[in-house]
Amino acid sequence: MGISERLPGWQKIAPVYAVIVLIVYGWSLLWYLWTFPSWLKFLTVSEILLTFSFVLATNLLESLLVLAPIVAISLLMPKRWFRDVFVARGAALAIAGLGSMMLLALQFRDIDDYPADLSTWLPAAVAVMLIVAVVAGRLPFLRKGLEAFAERATVLLLISIPLSVLALITSAVQVFL
Amino acid sequence: MSRLSRRDFLKLAGIGAGATVTANSALGAVPLAGSQAVLPNVLIIVFDAMSGRNLSLYGYHRKTTPTFERFADRAVVYHAHSSAGNFTSPGTASLLTGMLPWTHRAINISGRIARELQDRNIFHCFGGDYHRFAYSQNLGAVHLFSQFQQDIDTVLPPQAFSRVDQIVGSRLGGGVAAYQAFDDFLFRDGTPPASLVFGLASRVQLRRRVARTQTDDYPRGLPQARTFPLFFSLADVFDGLYQTIASLPRPYVAYFHLWAPHAPYRASRAFDGQFADGWRPKRKPDHRMGDHVPFYRLADKRQNYDEYIADVDAEFGALVDALEKEHLLDQTFVVVTSDHGEFLERGVDGHITPLLYEPVTNIPLLISTPGQRQRVDVLSPTSSIDVLPTLLHAAARDVPAWMNASYLPGIDGVSAGERTAFVVEAKENASFSSLEKSTVAMRRGDWKLIYYTGHEPDDFYELYNLADDPEELEDVFPGRPTILKSMQEELLDAFHAASGPLAQPI
Repeated sequence: MGISERLPGWQKIAPVYAVIVLIVYGWSLLWYLWTFPSWLKFLTVSEILLTFSFVLATNLLESLLVLAPIVAISLLMPKRWFRDVFVARGAALAIAGLGSMMLLALQFRDIDDYPADLSTWLPAAVAVMLIVAVVAGRLPFLRKGLEAFAERATVLLLISIPLSVLALITSAVQVFL
Repeated sequence: MSRLSRRDFLKLAGIGAGATVTANSALGAVPLAGSQAVLPNVLIIVFDAMSGRNLSLYGYHRKTTPTFERFADRAVVYHAHSSAGNFTSPGTASLLTGMLPWTHRAINISGRIARELQDRNIFHCFGGDYHRFAYSQNLGAVHLFSQFQQDIDTVLPPQAFSRVDQIVGSRLGGGVAAYQAFDDFLFRDGTPPASLVFGLASRVQLRRRVARTQTDDYPRGLPQARTFPLFFSLADVFDGLYQTIASLPRPYVAYFHLWAPHAPYRASRAFDGQFADGWRPKRKPDHRMGDHVPFYRLADKRQNYDEYIADVDAEFGALVDALEKEHLLDQTFVVVTSDHGEFLERGVDGHITPLLYEPVTNIPLLISTPGQRQRVDVLSPTSSIDVLPTLLHAAARDVPAWMNASYLPGIDGVSAGERTAFVVEAKENASFSSLEKSTVAMRRGDWKLIYYTGHEPDDFYELYNLADDPEELEDVFPGRPTILKSMQEELLDAFHAASGPLAQPI
């Protein structure tokens, strides 16, 4: 079986990517809304837009980085185990993985707050991700729920992708020119 | 404006510097620029959050600054010098522009000066005859450099002399927006990282790098900037300063803004515990607008702060000795000052406060003029906005009319006169709008009037006579009606003239 046959189609990747976008962009947007009022006090509209373009460009790269290993798992796992239930298991992996990162990030306020034992946290997070991924594929109601949620989230891509590409171009121009 | 690594910069600048250093050394001490053709260098060293009240140079109980005292033997020493602002953005902007915060409007944390005033800065004023150089470990000042980029020849990135850092903006380029997006938001320390993936990864990596870099030289950990990842040793920073100054093409105007002794206070082993003497400062009542930090905690922090200052002082002494030995300070105005003070009393810890008592407004100022061999003490009130016009005047440069210049006494034959010094705190206002909520302190002679406006429940004043009451413990408002009326009128006239809205540029 060729690589292209082992990979899920775009129709299946898009919902999983949408879930990732929802979490990655949503997290940044949450903190952005927290910071935005103070920026309004001393940044001009164009400066705020330029800053926002750096944020969106970063989110685009982050979301693709998260998507890549989930897609790559399709190459490694048996087709019926992962590719055929890619949306449910991919979305579950994204939610569990990014959720763990959010919990960890909330503890990382500054250098002195770093959790002492990352070596315990990391295996625990991986274990949770595995369990969630397995369960997501086996329980029909969970599988359908995740698929329905991911499908509905794809509408976000209509906004996030063009905006992010524009932001990436703007950021590149700002950095390289 | 070029952005070079420290190594690149030293390599390039060092080629031309050797010859000029030798040539300048041969000239020896020179009179002020007005009477000679060679342009003097201007070297400004800013120690962040260094309160004049904690320096033994000015009579502080602890012997924190023996080197400053030695340096003072060849400098003009200003005893009643005020910063125009109480944190980095307004304080530094006023020093670099000669304007008060209500004019330049860098009044917010990480704030910028009004865009239409960007060419009103020290680098522009000294002009292309000078090599114009800027370095800051504090991103608040780096933001201002970005605004002045057309007028600066070389900017060293904030991490130039650090041991560990994760400053993104300077590596990426992209100007001030990149600093704002990455270092002030996505990767900002003190909050969860706004960048979930890269931010978290960078924090894990930073933690590991810092752990690997820890050294026994610093019992409390490596000195670091507070809200962005920059870790350094004082010895490295001052060594970098020496090499940079030695390499600068001449004539130069060079601005160095060091993080120390800003919190967190981390003195090296040689100074840690030096002031564990059980001494406690006079206890002052908590102010109702203070943070109500317990007295014992403030006293402990004061000890750490004093030790950090002593550490900085020793390193500064080594720097000055090395520069003098190589005759690198001949023909140079050396300005040693701070951007604002530090407040460790009345229940307040730090300097982000609406309170404008002397510990947070009174900063050191020493100016050593070329060839100076005697100490001159100036007791009359002066302001950080006076530094730029004074340097321009002394270096025989044009002093722009917008500067509304007031020259510092003791330099170039200027004598002390009656002058008014303002300090403005307005961080909660939008810089483009009217200043509705702020604190303004006004110093005239021995008197200090503090005006709190926009604070609940009503506007109010405090009035102190600093000659009789240097600790500001006895508020004599509304007594002394004659002096009070005169000062109130002057303060309100100035405030209302300058506190209106600005047009917001797009």
